[in-house]
Amino acid sequence: MQRLINIILLFKEYFILAGFVIASFILLYSNNNSQIHAIRSYTVGLIGFVQNTLSIVPNVFGLKRDNEVLRKLAVNLSDEVNRLREARLENLKLRSMIGLKEHTSFTLAAGDIIGKNMHLLRNTITLNVGESDGIRPDMPIICETGLVGKIIATSRNYSVGLILFNKDFRASAKIQRTRIDGIIAWDGGTSLLMTNIPKTQDVKEGDIAITSEYSKIFPPEVKIGIVVKVSEKPGNLFKEIEVAPSVDFSSLEQVFVVTTIADSEKTALEDAVLKSK
Amino acid sequence: MWKHVKYLFISLIFIVIQIETASLLSLEGITPDILTIWIVYIALQKGQIPATIWGFCIGLIFDFAVGNFIGLSALSKTVVGFAAGYFYGENKALISLGSYRFVLVVLIVSFIHNTVYFTVFTFGSEVTVLKAIFQIGLATTFYTAALTLLPMFVFSRKLSL
Repeated sequence: MQRLINIILLFKEYFILAGFVIASFILLYSNNNSQIHAIRSYTVGLIGFVQNTLSIVPNVFGLKRDNEVLRKLAVNLSDEVNRLREARLENLKLRSMIGLKEHTSFTLAAGDIIGKNMHLLRNTITLNVGESDGIRPDMPIICETGLVGKIIATSRNYSVGLILFNKDFRASAKIQRTRIDGIIAWDGGTSLLMTNIPKTQDVKEGDIAITSEYSKIFPPEVKIGIVVKVSEKPGNLFKEIEVAPSVDFSSLEQVFVVTTIADSEKTALEDAVLKSK
Repeated sequence: MWKHVKYLFISLIFIVIQIETASLLSLEGITPDILTIWIVYIALQKGQIPATIWGFCIGLIFDFAVGNFIGLSALSKTVVGFAAGYFYGENKALISLGSYRFVLVVLIVSFIHNTVYFTVFTFGSEVTVLKAIFQIGLATTFYTAALTLLPMFVFSRKLSL
């Protein structure tokens, strides 16, 4: 305190000057003329500039509070983004499904996959549609991207479908470009096999495999997949063709069951011929 | 105490003279600043602090007397007292007052006074501050300094006696 007093006494002339200058400015500010208006305006601008300049000095408490608010906002926005992304995907999926339903000539029953059973090599899916929805065994299951499988069991409200990646699955297929027939099956690998195609036939990688009109179960022209590998082994009459399914089973959630019953007269005739042999 | 009353009384007289006779002493609209001469006198006689205080008081009284722009003369006269105080020398008051040093001090502090005065006075107006300082201010400074010759000669004679 004494030191402060000493400093004041040492510079008393300046303190007196400062005091009177401040008093003069206070008196000046009491005026109401154009000069004082201009000075006030200039002072406000100057104070604003100083505050703006000083604002770059971080306010720790303010920053902490801002940080908390921004974190909460980021979490909320992230959550919203996720929900919107989910909604967008669902929207896209539903749009394509609606598109399929509008463009197909089949009678379709939409169903959600409520279970995926991966037991040994017998991969199946469980759907939330059943006999009450007109679902019967052997009805094909498709989705917007292609063939999924077929119904193998039904109850009143549920059904079980056998998918392409099942060792019991078989389907008549053909190469879309060359119309060459074969049989789609699965040997437990990462892709499907198209069998019974002689080495002399024209099949290339990138060809599209579709269901054949010869099938008793599957409607024709439904996409199965794309040929990803064509190989020939010595001593074997047939090509070894690997087909990547067009359906992504890992993300499959909604499907359609084709409820159109196959032509019973044709089926009965074919069965009768087979029995007579 | 009586010295302060005397200073106050003389200050009031000079203020009246400044207000009433300014038009009589006016040359082309330029009037001398008698109050500045008086404050410089106080500064050379009494020192910086009394001159600063009296500068503020005289300026304030003048502002109230004129009734326009309260605080402007108080500010500029305070600065005059403070600046003139730098020329104070103990026991050298009469020598300073009776020599051209007096005129020189008035010349310097009058210029400072006019600079402060016109900087505030022309703020936000059409008249530029430099034009005001170097046309009106400089003329006033020289006129005031010229008028200082009168008391200087008086003190010079007093010194020679």
